[in-house]
Amino acid sequence: MNAAQVLTRRRLRACLVIILVVFALFGARLFQIQGLDASAYAAQAVASGTQKKVDPAPRGAILDRNGEELATSVDGLTLTADPKMTVDNAPQIARILREKLGNEIDYFDTIDKLRTPDSRYVYLAKDLPKWTADKAIAALDKAGLPGVFSEKETLRTYPGGKLAANLLGYTNGAGKGVAGLEQQFDKTLTGTDGSSTYEVSPTGQRIPMADSTVTEMVPGRDVQTTIDRDLQWYADQRLADAVQASSSDWGLAITMDVKTCQIVQMSQAPTFNADERSGMDDSNTVSRAVQNVYEPGSVMKTVTMAALADQGKIAADTPIVVPPKMTIDRFPIGDYWQHGTLKLTAAGVIALSSNLGTIVAAQQMSDQTMYQYFSKFGFGQKTGVNLPGESKGILTNGSEWTKANHATISFGQGVSVTAMQMMRAVGAIANAGKMCEPSVVTSTVDKDGTKTAVTSPASKRIVSKDAASTVTRMMEAVTAPDGTAPAAAIKGYRVAGKTGTAWRVDPTTGRYIRGQNTVSFMGFAPADNPRFLTYIVLDKPYSNAGGGSTAAPVFHDIMSMALERFGVAPSGSKSPKVAQTW
Amino acid sequence: MSSQLSRAFAPVPSRIEDAKAVGLRLVRPVRSRARKAPFVVVVLTVLSIGLVGLIVMSTVLQAQSFEAARLQSQATSLQTQQQALSREVDRLQSPANVAREALAIGMVPNANPAFLRLADGKVLGKPEAAVAGSNITRVTP
Repeated sequence: MNAAQVLTRRRLRACLVIILVVFALFGARLFQIQGLDASAYAAQAVASGTQKKVDPAPRGAILDRNGEELATSVDGLTLTADPKMTVDNAPQIARILREKLGNEIDYFDTIDKLRTPDSRYVYLAKDLPKWTADKAIAALDKAGLPGVFSEKETLRTYPGGKLAANLLGYTNGAGKGVAGLEQQFDKTLTGTDGSSTYEVSPTGQRIPMADSTVTEMVPGRDVQTTIDRDLQWYADQRLADAVQASSSDWGLAITMDVKTCQIVQMSQAPTFNADERSGMDDSNTVSRAVQNVYEPGSVMKTVTMAALADQGKIAADTPIVVPPKMTIDRFPIGDYWQHGTLKLTAAGVIALSSNLGTIVAAQQMSDQTMYQYFSKFGFGQKTGVNLPGESKGILTNGSEWTKANHATISFGQGVSVTAMQMMRAVGAIANAGKMCEPSVVTSTVDKDGTKTAVTSPASKRIVSKDAASTVTRMMEAVTAPDGTAPAAAIKGYRVAGKTGTAWRVDPTTGRYIRGQNTVSFMGFAPADNPRFLTYIVLDKPYSNAGGGSTAAPVFHDIMSMALERFGVAPSGSKSPKVAQTW
Repeated sequence: MSSQLSRAFAPVPSRIEDAKAVGLRLVRPVRSRARKAPFVVVVLTVLSIGLVGLIVMSTVLQAQSFEAARLQSQATSLQTQQQALSREVDRLQSPANVAREALAIGMVPNANPAFLRLADGKVLGKPEAAVAGSNITRVTP
């Protein structure tokens, strides 16, 4: 072997070694991929070709008693932009958006957003109905202006705008109910999102016969309320007019079916518009019917009389000597009008709303007895209306009462209630002495229309039937021409009612404020076979407004509309004449 | 190579003689009567039908997939349109809108309920004409 041959052989060997090393590396890598990380790589390969889509479950609707939608959900979009892509065409994009979206966006504000420096993501507009946003996106596509994107969301709408807003409540940005029925029935209304996973081609089409998994979404259940939409609207408007005319701070109007305790209308003014998200400050969004406590004033006299009548201590014609004034625990108490010693019947005391007459009558009861009756009527306890944030009011225990407490509580001062509590209590008088819990929801409905009833506790007897009819007789005298609220009378019907003009308490000092009142009217009709109970409350109206002059006309209109809408015809019987004096 | 092979497999001469002695003789090899051509044709046909079938099926499925995607997007856009229209209907038939229209043509809400009993034609309640301005006169937006 010569030198040249030796050299060639060495070169060949070197090449062989290099080739072997390279192949060994390939082999090792192959083993790693196929043997060690096989499943991870397989999953990665599948993932790159699959698409997972979340199928958002629509939130259930809130319906009125006839199935009309009070709150519902529609597809919505949020528009976002990448300012890096839009900075050059900002005015053109803003012009198209303004054209298609109208007042949803501000032109100059949008230009600024589209030019946000050092940002790649800005929100242009949230909560747009899909059909509106789609038009804007299509117009931008057509004009060849890139950089604006859309994100899917569920949009809550309230077709009635302000209608029953404080009862319905509203949802927050994440779609969760944070007030009213939206909050209380959030779990029922919220569905379960579904999802689907399937393999797609690079252009986005679904590959037929490839693996796919689908989890069905479960839509939220609808909630059917006891509200009558048309009556609700009428009461909303009538109350708003009254609050404005009397320059009150706020007003409430609630109507309840006394047989079933279903609330058919619950209005508050001023209120908010959850559909347009306007007027959403705390003083408007609070649900005053259940969350606001106040001193009810003379409407409470009906409860005092019912307690006395149940013990057989009073009848409509029981004679009462009413002194010109009284001083109890150095606390002077008078009536709203100056008078000498009066000889009034119990009906006369109610008809003229005499505080002194009520105190004289109530002195027949001990502190404990009176406290027990007030407790039985539900004061100091929440109602079963099942709405969030309900207050239980303030009724101090009878064992802690002073003489002045006993006297003032009998005519509705020194006791704090919610309007719903007051409805429940007087509802028992209207319902022949049996009290039920007010309710606003009858059932929940699934997507097939199957209803599941929401049960409420059975009614229980509070006072005897005779006691209830005695108080009803007294209350009929209130709407008579010589009573305190003839404006509440409805021609052809027998109407029982009671006015209230209570001193307002300053929440910071806890003292009464001279010249500031909470005026109210509570009444039911037809008095001979009660069907509806309506309560009107106006807080802090102009200083000489009274329950009879300010609240009673509102009661008249709303009650008339309720009787008309529900086809409650008058029986034609006449109110029995009860003497007011003796 | 072939001559070596044929030599190796050639019968030993003595054995040929023995065979002739017992009356055995060499015959021509029997030719198979089955022809190969039809079998090949059948196999090829089956294969091609299968192949063509697969191609056709996959094409049809693909085409349907495009069609499905198109119909899906059409369904979504129709659903959106339906939502937009039903919202418009809701808005138009809302009590506030009906009341606004009614007030605009001079109608007045009646707060004096009265009923006519069809059985005997009796009027229940005291019917009274609604007076303009005595009830709701406007719709607060």
